[in-house]
This record gives sequence, C-alpha cells and structure tokens, in this order.
Amino acid sequence: MSATAWAWLVLLFPLLGSIVIGVGFHALPQKVAGIIGTVSIALAFACGIGALLSLLGEDPEARHHASSLWDYASVAGLDIKLGIFVDPLSVFMVLIVTGVSTLIHLYSYGYMQSDEGYHRFFSYLNFFVFSMLLLVLAGNFVLLTVGWAFVGFASYALISFWYRRETATRAGMKAFVINVVGDIGLVLAAFLIFRELGSFDYGTVFEKAPEVFTTNEWTITAICLLLLVGAFAKSAQLPLHTWLPDAMEGPTPVSSLIHAATMVTAGVYLIARTHVLFELAPTAADIAAFVGLATLLVAATMALVMTDLKRAIAYSTMSQIGYMIMGVSIGAYSAGMFHLMTHAFFKALLFMAAGSIIAAMANDQNIDRMSGFGKAMRFTSITFVCGALALAAFPGTSGFFSKDEILAFAEARGGMYLIFTVLGYVGALMTAIYSFRLVFRVLPGRPCKEAQELIDTGHVAHEAPKNPATGEPEDTDVGFPGPEHHIAEQSLPMRVAMGVLAVLALVGGLIQIPGVDDVVTKFLDPVWEGSPLAAIEPTLGEDYTGLGIGGVIALLGIGIAYVLYVRRPELPRRLEQRLRPLHTLFANKWYFDEAIDFLVVRPALAIGRFANRTFERFVVDGLVNGTAETVRGAGGVVRAVQSGFVRSYALLLIAGFAGLALYFLLSSS
Amino acid sequence: MSSAILWAPLAFGLLGLFLPQKAVGWWAVLGTAVTLGLAIVAAVGFDTGSSAMQYAVDEPWISGLGVDYSLGIDGLNLFLILLTAVLWVGGVAFAAFREQERAKSFFFLMLVAETATLGAFLAQDLLLFVLFFDLMLVPFYFLFGAWGHDRSGEGGITASAATLKMIVYTLIGSLLMLVAAIATAVLAADGGHLTFSLAALNEHGLGEGSQRWIFWFFAAAFLVKMPAFMLHGWMPDAYRAAPLPALIVFSGVLAKVGAYGFLRVVLPLFPDATVEFQEVILMIALASILYGSVMAFTQTNVRLIAGYSSVAQLGFITAGIFALQADGSDGAVLQMVNHGLVVAPLFVVVALLLERTGTEDISEMGGLALRAPVLAALFLIVVLATLAMPGSANFIGEFYILNGLFEAKIVFAFVAISGVAMSAYYALRLYQQTMHNRKPEGLLSREIGLRDGLILVPLVLCIVGLALYPQVVLERTAPSVAQTVAKVRQNEPPESRLASMSLEEKAEVESGALKIVP
Repeated sequence: MSATAWAWLVLLFPLLGSIVIGVGFHALPQKVAGIIGTVSIALAFACGIGALLSLLGEDPEARHHASSLWDYASVAGLDIKLGIFVDPLSVFMVLIVTGVSTLIHLYSYGYMQSDEGYHRFFSYLNFFVFSMLLLVLAGNFVLLTVGWAFVGFASYALISFWYRRETATRAGMKAFVINVVGDIGLVLAAFLIFRELGSFDYGTVFEKAPEVFTTNEWTITAICLLLLVGAFAKSAQLPLHTWLPDAMEGPTPVSSLIHAATMVTAGVYLIARTHVLFELAPTAADIAAFVGLATLLVAATMALVMTDLKRAIAYSTMSQIGYMIMGVSIGAYSAGMFHLMTHAFFKALLFMAAGSIIAAMANDQNIDRMSGFGKAMRFTSITFVCGALALAAFPGTSGFFSKDEILAFAEARGGMYLIFTVLGYVGALMTAIYSFRLVFRVLPGRPCKEAQELIDTGHVAHEAPKNPATGEPEDTDVGFPGPEHHIAEQSLPMRVAMGVLAVLALVGGLIQIPGVDDVVTKFLDPVWEGSPLAAIEPTLGEDYTGLGIGGVIALLGIGIAYVLYVRRPELPRRLEQRLRPLHTLFANKWYFDEAIDFLVVRPALAIGRFANRTFERFVVDGLVNGTAETVRGAGGVVRAVQSGFVRSYALLLIAGFAGLALYFLLSSS
Repeated sequence: MSSAILWAPLAFGLLGLFLPQKAVGWWAVLGTAVTLGLAIVAAVGFDTGSSAMQYAVDEPWISGLGVDYSLGIDGLNLFLILLTAVLWVGGVAFAAFREQERAKSFFFLMLVAETATLGAFLAQDLLLFVLFFDLMLVPFYFLFGAWGHDRSGEGGITASAATLKMIVYTLIGSLLMLVAAIATAVLAADGGHLTFSLAALNEHGLGEGSQRWIFWFFAAAFLVKMPAFMLHGWMPDAYRAAPLPALIVFSGVLAKVGAYGFLRVVLPLFPDATVEFQEVILMIALASILYGSVMAFTQTNVRLIAGYSSVAQLGFITAGIFALQADGSDGAVLQMVNHGLVVAPLFVVVALLLERTGTEDISEMGGLALRAPVLAALFLIVVLATLAMPGSANFIGEFYILNGLFEAKIVFAFVAISGVAMSAYYALRLYQQTMHNRKPEGLLSREIGLRDGLILVPLVLCIVGLALYPQVVLERTAPSVAQTVAKVRQNEPPESRLASMSLEEKAEVESGALKIVP
C-alpha cells in the first residue's frame, strides 16, 4: 500500500472513533466507548507505521507524495482540494501524535472512569487527535487552516469539558478566541501567498517561492510574520500565551495530550513545514527565534514560582516550546523536531504523574499542601522523577540529547546566534531548578493529610470536590470525577501508559547520540533538501562540549533545588523576601493578562457599551423616530384628507417620488 | 418548471382556505414539500457548466408597458431558490407542530410569502422583480403585526408599532426602487421600444449620469432589506416582535433578496456607477460587519444576538459582491446560502429554548446541555458554522469573499477580518451561556423531541453536507458570477484588469492567447 493510502487511514480511524462514540453515547457501555476510543488511535498509530515503512522503502529523494480526494472549493482560479501531503516530516509528526495519544487514551481509560462525561470525553479526545492529524497531513494552506481551527475547537471543548465550572468555560473561551486570532494570521498569510504565487498548494508554493521572491522582500517577510501569528497563538509563545496556564482547568489527560504532547507543538511544525519561506525571510525567522528565546526565559521564571502543580508544568511546556521555536527558526530543523519528540514523552508523563497526585489530593493542585507522596505513591513518584530528570536534561536522558542539539547548532551557526546558546543554557539552569523544585516539594517529607490517608487505608481522599479558584462545590452531574478519583497505583491502564512513557523519557534520546547514531536527522533530511541552513552541522567537538556544559548545568540546577527545598527549606522564603519585586512580577505572570485586559478587552467592551446604550438609541433609532416625527407633522396636514398614518405616509411618498422621477426623466432626456 | 415552482405554494395556500382548521397546517407543509421537490428536480437537471438562463419562461404580460412574465434559473439564484424551499418547509412544519391562532390565515400568509419570495428570485424582468420584492413584505407585515409578541418593560414596544417601524423603512426603499426601475426602462428605451426585460436592459447601457442616481435608489432598497448599518433601525424591534416560525424564514431568506438584488440588477445594469461607488458601499459593508459584531456581543436577548450577527454576515456578503472579483462574488453567493442555513436553525433553537426556559435572555439561562445533549450537539454545530469555523462551508464562503477583497482592496480586507474574531466570541458566548455554565435555580431543561428533531436534524445535515462539499454550490454558481463580474469590469482600463487577473490568465495574456478587449 502506498504511503498516502496509509495516511488516509491514519485520518479515518480517529474520525470514525469520534463519530461512533459521539452518536452512540446512549447505546454504548462506558467500557466499550473507552476501548473504541483507544483502539482507534492505536490503529491510526499502526497505519502511521505503515506509512513510515512505505516511505523507507523508497528513494530518499522520492519520499514526498500528494494525494487528494475531491475538489473542495476550486473555482475562479483558487485551487483548493481535499488533499494531503505525505513526507518524512508529516509521518514523523503522525507517529508522535498517534503514539503518545494512544498512551494518553489508555491513561484516560482508567483516570476518567468515575466521570459522568466519559463518552463525551472520548469522543472529543478522538476528534482532537483527528484534527491534529489533519493539521500535520494537510496538503495545502486551506486544509492546514481547517486542521488548525479544529484543533483549536477541540481544545476549547476539552478545556471547558466540565462545563458547569465557570472558571473552565471562561478558560475555554479564552483559548478559543486567542486561537482564532492565530487562525486569522494563517488565513491572511494564505491570501498573501495566493496573491503572489497563485496557489495554496504546498508543492506549488514551495517550488515557486524561491523563484518569485528575493530574500527579505517585504511580501515574504509579511507572509512569514503572519504565519508566526498563527504559530505563536497555537504554541503559546509571547504574547499570545495567556490561554495555556488557564487551560489547566481541563481534566489532566487533556493537559497531557493538548498542552504537552501535541497541540502546542503545531507552531513548531508549521515553521518546519514552511522553512522554505522562512529561509527567504531571515528577518522574520530571527524575530521568531528571539520570541522563542524570550518565551523560554520568561516562562521559566514563572515556572519557578507557581504554586499550582499543573500550572507550573504548563509554564514549563511554554518554555520548552520556546526552545523548539528557537531551534526551527535558526535552522536547527531536525534538532527542533527531535526535541519536540522527546518533550512529548517526558511532558506527557509529567502531566500523567501530576494527574495521579492531584487525584489523590481530591483535585487540589496546590503544591504548598502536598508532601510525602514519595512514600504514599511509589509508582507515580518514580515516573514523576523520570519525567523530571528528562526535563532537567539529566545526562543520558532524552531531554539531555535533544536540548543540547539545538544549542550546539546555534553555536555552530556562530555570530549573533551565540546569544541563543548562552541564554539557552541560562534557561536550562532554571529548568533544572524548577523541575526538581516540584519533585522536592511534592515527594519527600512528612506525608500530608491525603498522603497519610493513602498510606493508612489505601484509599484516595473522599471529600466532595471544590473548585480551588472559587471555592464553589463542583457539579458532579455533568462529568466531574466526583468523590471517587483514580490514581495510577490502583489502575493498570494508567500504570502501563506511564510506564511506557517513563522508559521512553529516559532512553528515547539514545536514537540520536552525536557521533554514534542519527536516526531522526537521517529520516528527516530529505525534507530540508537544498536548504543551506540545514547543511550546517556542529562538529563532534562542539557537540560534546555542549553536552558537557549541559550536563553540568543540569546537575547544578538539581543541586540548587536540593539545597533550596530539602536541605534549607527556609531559604526560598527568605529569597522571596529579598527579591520581593522580582517575585511579585513572576508570580503575577509578568502582568500579561492585565495588559491584554487593559489594551484589548476593556476597550472592546467600552465600544460595545457605547454602541448599545448611546449610538443605537440616539442615532439609529433617532433617525427613524426623527422621520416618524417629521412625517407625523406632515401627516397632520394630510389628515384632513386621509385618515390613518400609514396610508397618508405612503401616499405622500408616492406623490413625492413620482414627482422626483418625473423631474429626473425630464431633465435627463 | 420555473412557473410550477413559483405558483405551487400559492396554489396550495388558496386550496387550504377551503380545508378545516385542523388540517390546514399539514396541507401547508405538503405544499412547501412539493415546492421543495420541484426545486430539487430543477437543481438536479441544472446544466453545471453553463452561465445561460435555464428553465426560462418568457411571455409578454403588459405589452404596452413592455413588462414580461419572464422567469429563469441560473447560477445566481439556483441555490437561493433551493434555500427558500428548504427553509419554508422547516418554518411551516415548525408552525404546524404547534397550535396556531387563526391557523387558516396564518398558513395562507406563509405560503403567499413563499411565492412572493420565490418570485423575487426567479424574476428576469425588472418590474416583475420589483413587484415580487414589494409583495414579499406584505404577508410579513400581517404575520408580524397580528401574530407577533408585544414587549413590555424597558425599550418595550407593541408588535404593531414594531411592524409600523419596519413598514416605514421598507416602504421608502421599495418606492425608491419602483421609481428607479421605471426610470431605468424609460432611459434605456430612449424613446424606442419600452422593455423591462433584464436581458434586454443588459444590452443597453445607461449613461453614467443616470446610472449614478438610479444606483443609489436600488442600493437604498437593498441595504434596508439586509439590513445594513444605519438602515437597520427596524430590525431589533421587528425581530423581537416576530412570531418565531415566520422569523425562521424571514431571517433566513429575505435578507438575501437584498444581496441578490445587487448581483442580479445593480452590477449588470449600472456597471459604471458600481465601480464608481465601490468604496462607498464597501465602507457601509465594513461598518455593518464591525457594528453588527460589536452589538452582537453586548446583547443578551438571543433573537437580537442572531439579528445583529446577521447584520455582520450580510456585511461580509455585500463586501464580497463589491470586491468586484469573481471569487468574492462566488463566496458571496455561497455565503448567502450558508447564512440562511445557519440562521434559520438558530431561530428554531431560540424557539426551543424559549419553550423550555420561558426566557430569551441568555443571562437567565445556563447549563441546559446536561438534560439535552442532542439539542446541545445540534446547536453547537450551528454555532460553529455561524462563526465560520474553518471546515464549514461558511468558512469557504468567507474565505472566498475575503480573498476577493484582498485582491481588490487589501486594507478593507484587513479591517473586515477583525469581524471574524468577534464572531468567534459572540457566537460561542451564545452557546456557552445557554448550554454551559451553572444552571439557574428552577430552570427546566429537556431533550429535543422527535418532531422538532425532524426539523432541526435535516437543517444541520445540510450544513454538514455543504461543509464537506461546498464545491457543489461553487461550481454551479461560478459561470454566472463570472459573467456578471466581467460585465462590471469591461469598462476598466486594460492595465487594472491585468492587475486583477490570476497568474494563469496573465500568462495567457502575455502569450497572446487571451486578449483584453477595451
């Protein structure tokens, strides 16, 4: 079977799964829904392997195929087909998305068991995977936008999954609207591409672009900047990131799937996919790289001070995506994609472990209240540490190799790009500190109440769940887990999913060790064929110096975290006091929310109020009331002849216009 | 065929007057269903690649005045006729499922309204068009005035007062249009044989001076009907007063007659004025988009949210037409169909919400999805299509419109697209505040019943079907649209026409295969 046939099947299974579960929600038993959901993604993964094997059986140069089902909207010179594009990059993404998603579905199978919205959850989850696959397989900019927006909608649906929780619905709305801003960037970029190149099709666009555009011409720069609006909104880069931390209102498997493994990497994929355009617009690419750098640093500072377990991990995601955006923008394409892969493993794992802990805490996410879970939840703790090690880039783990590959590339490119290496290491230090801050705050120490209960009775805390943000009791009818929560220690599917990911987080980097093997680079190389940037390669010496520095920094960071949170736990408090303004800035998330509120939301509402209360009433209505008044006045004269307001009015008008018409007729002939 | 489609509803309406009160509702449903069947037959037999008038009927009617009974179907009106037929089945069936006061007159008026609306779409004679255009509103005056709701409280208004306001607005527009139509024919005849036939008028161009004022007379009528910004004063009160079954068809179809009028009458007959006033109309369209969107997200009455969102949507459609590009107008026609298909089910949902909760105010609703998951899912699809979610046909419509605008007037396109972001907010807000969030104490909710499902599900299936294959509309629309747009652009200087061509066309011109005729 050809690679494109496999790819169509990859799309088919999740869509079918979503529809079957969605339509059959009354008829299907809960278990069956979960199984259908999980199996459909697993089948998609299998088909992804099929596509991979089919590609590997071909000449490296011939490994790109387009295929289309039907003309979607092709008239008036627009060529929009329902078409896909299969090449190593899309297959690589397909494998990550379906692979990690299968595990997340498996985890959800256990985790969501007591949730009333079980069917709905799996239907949405499958739809989400379908959307993401559509995004990575799309063969033109229009279908890309469709996948892009579907992903945005699916994340809206999943974030506000517990839809009677108003913090969740607000967060969903925020995510959706910011994502729409991103969609608009994408659509405008597509218009501009069409105007200049006369096509929306990837093949045509990438082929024609180097002929039509000269480097750094304003049009190509504008196209790339518009694409970046889309990329930043979806990948939570500054300043369009504010939806991501709020999105933690959704169930934890959602955070794991959307906000770690797949959706937020879409921007990275987009830049890699359109690298031909970005290489023609180096200015735009540099802007992207600097935004990535700024995001990775700013997000890391926020992750250092967050007391909400999931939000801290969310900021860490932002920061890691910053590395990837930086990587693909400076030309480290394969390295960026490699980091995308390893990050999917360890971040999905971290969220799963966090979910297990949060379940044990009866949905409380505050790390100030957590301690001693190392004893209470052995399996969860071990996997959590595995994830944290990879995130901190502990030597030998997957994150260690992938992060350093990006930084080594920046170094090899030299010149201005050394900044990215240096500040990238600063970010790496913060990463190591905040990841082990979480480990040391949550796992060791005297067990907290919930942990103690777990140790004593083997049961999870059974308090009625409350929304930590508002204190409202949760409405468990619509699908909140209710008093019964599920933790990895008591659920085999969850353990399997976390176990596999823990192994991958630790050893996933071994497929790409400098000087030993380069599986990822070799596979992806045909995609960047002809790109001068992709040809830059760090020397082995640079690679190993980088790895050395990276390893030392990781160990140093973990050491600092150990001192701060285990040896001398009074230190953080004192540091906080000493650096009060800085801490306030970080803890308030650099006031991005407030700034957007002040600059966008308030003015919009004020305009709305003005339109509604003043303009509509006095100007628009005034117009008709005014005419009515005039007419009434005039009507008074006519009333002697005719009674009835409308009739007289109509007559008056007919007479008037007949006269007018007569005038025009006479004057123009 | 055209005649059969046109008169079927009226025939059923007249016969219905002799039936007992109880049966009249179902009789009316049958009448609309037969009309729909005829429309479908016409659509199936439609020759896709052709821009010519099909199923044409052309008989002299008032020969002294040069008025013909001339009907026909082409790419511009085919899907609007289908839309009309579909929505009338929905609206009439919705009413038939419920007790109606004075049922005989109610259904009679509904069917008269359908014939009049179909007439406006089918007419290929200018005076016939104007007649149907005016006739169309008469049954709605009665429906709104006699079966409407009086509103008390702040900003309250009685149904008859709201109707009066609508009459004042639309009458002005109608009379202006009547005068303009007569003037067009007289001036075109220039002392010779008087004719109102659109085909004939297309041949005889008017002088630029006369085009200029006649353009505005027609534009005024069409802009009021849509309604466009500043001419929408009648809309909020009329929408709040209207009985919901009538509003389902009114909002879905009547606004489009205005936009259709631009394509059918204004662009071909007054090409010079169209080019001259392009930017003025675009400004009005943009203002409608922005103002409609802003108003939509401040309203709490569900009818008004839908109403103001229509103002914004019709703004997009107008902008698409006045981009004066083939793709813009293709998108506009598609979007007319799309908008009818979303706004009608939206009002069905409004009616169902009202029956369940007793309120139309979203601030008094919430959390209804739990007891009504199917209704919520259907509503969600409608809402997503309303906000032109990529993947819906509405997105393709807007995409074509904006692409056309982008080619023609890039700045306008950038402003217009901000309306897309706002639509995401107001549409989703409508869904969220009714279906999600906390349920107010004592609010009842129940699942959609089988009967209402029979109305809502087919409409939603139409939305989904078009989403999967919008090409079905586009490929039938494109030839006629291309002809209309070419008519407008024929007087442009060759350089500017070259600038707006696609790359393939440019290559053809360069190679000499295609010639620009000045």
